[in-house]
Amino acid sequence: MGCGVTKSNQLQLKPCDRGNISVPAMRAALLIQRWYRQYVARLEMRRRCTWNIFQSIEYSGQQDHIKLYNFFGYLMDHFSSANSQRNLVSQMFGESEVFQDAEWERRFCYKDIEVPDVYTGPHLSFPLSISNVTELVHAFKNKQVQSFLSKQQNSFMYMLQSQSFSSVSGSCRSECLSADVSPQKLHARYVLQLLGKTWTLLRLMPNISHVGTCRHKEITICGDLHGHLEDLLLIFYKNGFPSAETPYVFNGDFVDRGKESIEILLVLFAFLLLYPHNVHLNRGNHEDHIVNLRYGFTKEVLGKYQVHGKMILKLLQKIFSWLPLATVIDQKVLILHGGISDKTDLNVIAKLDRHRFVSALRPLKRKGASAMLKEAALSADGDEEFSAGRRRVQSLSHGTPLRLRQELPRHSVHSESGRTGRSVEEELRERRRLAGLSLSSDSDPAEVLETDADEWKQIVDVLWSDPMSQNGCVPNKVRGGGCYWGPDVTQEVLDRHKLQLLIRSHECKQEGYEFCHNGRVLTIFSASNYYDVGSNRGAYIRLGPDLIPHFKQFQASRSTRELTLRQSVGRTERSALQALRMQLFAHKSALIREFQEYDPQRTGLISVKHWAAAVEKVLRLALPWRVLRSQLVTSSTQDGTLNYHDWVNQLSVIQPNTEIANTSLLETLYKHHSNLESIFRMIDTDHSGLISFEEFRQTWKLLSSHLQTDISDKAISDLAESIDFNKDGSIDINEFMEAFRLVEHSRAEMEVLPSPE
Amino acid sequence: MAPKKKEEPKPAAAPKPPEPEPPKEPEFNPAEVKLEFTAEQIEDFKDAFQLFDRTPTNEMKITYAQCGDLIRALGQNPTNAEVMHVLGKPKAEDMNVKMLDFDQFLPMHQHICKAKDRGTFEDFVEGLRVFDKEGNGTVMGAELRHVLATLGEKMKEDEVEQLMAGQEDANGCINYEAFVKHIMAG
Repeated sequence: MGCGVTKSNQLQLKPCDRGNISVPAMRAALLIQRWYRQYVARLEMRRRCTWNIFQSIEYSGQQDHIKLYNFFGYLMDHFSSANSQRNLVSQMFGESEVFQDAEWERRFCYKDIEVPDVYTGPHLSFPLSISNVTELVHAFKNKQVQSFLSKQQNSFMYMLQSQSFSSVSGSCRSECLSADVSPQKLHARYVLQLLGKTWTLLRLMPNISHVGTCRHKEITICGDLHGHLEDLLLIFYKNGFPSAETPYVFNGDFVDRGKESIEILLVLFAFLLLYPHNVHLNRGNHEDHIVNLRYGFTKEVLGKYQVHGKMILKLLQKIFSWLPLATVIDQKVLILHGGISDKTDLNVIAKLDRHRFVSALRPLKRKGASAMLKEAALSADGDEEFSAGRRRVQSLSHGTPLRLRQELPRHSVHSESGRTGRSVEEELRERRRLAGLSLSSDSDPAEVLETDADEWKQIVDVLWSDPMSQNGCVPNKVRGGGCYWGPDVTQEVLDRHKLQLLIRSHECKQEGYEFCHNGRVLTIFSASNYYDVGSNRGAYIRLGPDLIPHFKQFQASRSTRELTLRQSVGRTERSALQALRMQLFAHKSALIREFQEYDPQRTGLISVKHWAAAVEKVLRLALPWRVLRSQLVTSSTQDGTLNYHDWVNQLSVIQPNTEIANTSLLETLYKHHSNLESIFRMIDTDHSGLISFEEFRQTWKLLSSHLQTDISDKAISDLAESIDFNKDGSIDINEFMEAFRLVEHSRAEMEVLPSPE
Repeated sequence: MAPKKKEEPKPAAAPKPPEPEPPKEPEFNPAEVKLEFTAEQIEDFKDAFQLFDRTPTNEMKITYAQCGDLIRALGQNPTNAEVMHVLGKPKAEDMNVKMLDFDQFLPMHQHICKAKDRGTFEDFVEGLRVFDKEGNGTVMGAELRHVLATLGEKMKEDEVEQLMAGQEDANGCINYEAFVKHIMAG
């Protein structure tokens, strides 16, 4: 054909047609294009909604966790050992186990652990060689392939629901339960040996690592991995293993949420031992045993290492506290996990004893004064009320006025600025005065206490903070720890330290990375499909001597590649909506009460506008409820009103797998099951996975104190009996949580719908 | 005798109209637009508007570039030309810089909503039938791709890919009724 480029010889437009394209064809093209653009825009809106849902639920869960933890701290600090609850908490924190390092080393010794002949996994010899480490990586990779099918069942929905990763499917669980000889799992002996060597090495490292790009070396920087081994392997595949030529910085949050946290740690530590000058690990907020109790790492280790899990976890606790806090490249680029605050001072950070801060959530224990330390550093906010007998609890539910939707943070944007004018020192003085503590009872001078508080705040800020768009620095209420810091703070802090760029992680980004603060802050996130398959890409940075970041993006998981954009948006959206429905279900009674506020005549109907306002108030999630309405409310709305009883009944399609008759207890149970599980795991100090009836009862008492609700003893005993599945007087934590995992029942399966209250 | 393959001279001089342009309208005047939305609808739009709002203090403003997307997300399907018209024909460099607030947005949206000729399912199918050479309910994927990328408000190659993903059968044909349903369901 003389004219025109044809894409294929099947094109039927003849040359002579090109001159006078028919009007219908033109119209048709336009029409299709218009519809396509609409389709894309709608997809984008759905994607954004979904993202908002996941992120709000995630952060609200974190906040919840910290509230619980603060409550424990409060018990510890304000009650004497005569109080049983305080004792319980004290026991949970394992504060009685204090030994010197030498003693710990003896306990962690791997030498007596025999490796049986049936073990076909990798054998490590120290000092490690490259082939050892490569063998280790390949072993884990093979296990990946084998468990691909069971991974398919791994959805964020489970994670959200349980908030501590109880989605281990049947087949996976049995895989884990087989003794420490399953083929691709590293034997406990080698694990302890590797970890021991890592601990030794880390103790030699400074708080802040200084690295140089020598002339032509490029440094690779990775963000959160969160147990996604597949992503780490993908990075190694694309970028090469760590080596002298390929130095790496891993910016924290290696564990929790994903199922292969321990494997990631082992691989990273192995490379660290192999190339101590070329592999740099920064601590993240999840390198913290308290956080691990809730978000799945503790459970993973105990599941995979039945016999030695406890020891491994203890050793990891040490290791986490010894992880460096930051890395600086060429004196110009600062890399740390969360962020900074207006008080951030690298000189202070460089000098402190980082290992004293075993958990960033728990301040150092000092007689009588730790309350003040905690109050001062964890989110000082002048607005919240406190009275002499009752310390302020980090909580939105006590006394803070309801804010309009516009003001609730959606993308970690905070609308108040600098409400607290007080410095840490002033806070301390105030607290001390209120507490009526005399200084003489405390042998340490005031300055030392303040130093502790200051140092602790430095660390919490580094591990937990998020950037915001406005100027200023305010407490990070959404997460419950650290700050929100603005572009002015970035400028001030970076200039003060003569730095040009801050690289941090901590927040999931759709493209795997995102700049803010005029390009001076860069977020890098390396766990792809974090919320669900197709939710986001992961990325890593290559940084050369010019210190200009270059990005590589990726997305793991075979199934993603096969899904079209629309399918992956649809899929993620379904998960998000399901998670949201579960949250709604958990707040059923409160929702009905709130709806009734708008319906004094009890007609059973409310306007859509009121529905949205009520749901927002009860759930405290800043989401576009009206936009979501069409998917959450499937019963018809006539002239803008809906029948809320019907709607709430629809939610009841989601039910736990159990036959508890007491529906209000059920609701409490579901609403707080993450807290419940956290407490269970803390109580289970010997990590057996079982707790006694008495411990169960105490857990409920503790929870009801925290929630300030009443749960009768009888209700608790009934509950305990009904869930004693093994009928042997103790309760299996996993089974318990499994029983309350919400699933959708078809209407046919349900005999009686709970009647609206 | 070899058939003469004579090309008709292309009417190169006459500008090929890329799309049936609406008759030259006067500039868009928001003040002249009568808002007919109900209060409920306006609340719904506000929610969606907020979703697109990326300003630091939730100022309820979006960029010009987002305006078209928002209108489409709310269920309309204007052409790019129509969107530019209600925006007052902004320059390309302004698109990501200039902002509009919710009150400015409403008349634009109303104008688009009122426009006739939105295109029904039948129109859409009719349009595609133009390319159905064999009259059997299918069009060649390749032809459709070519058309979408070269005619009208051209789509980029990756956009075309997106659209057509999974639609063609083994012979490269698309059943266009199914295709239309697929698009309109999104």
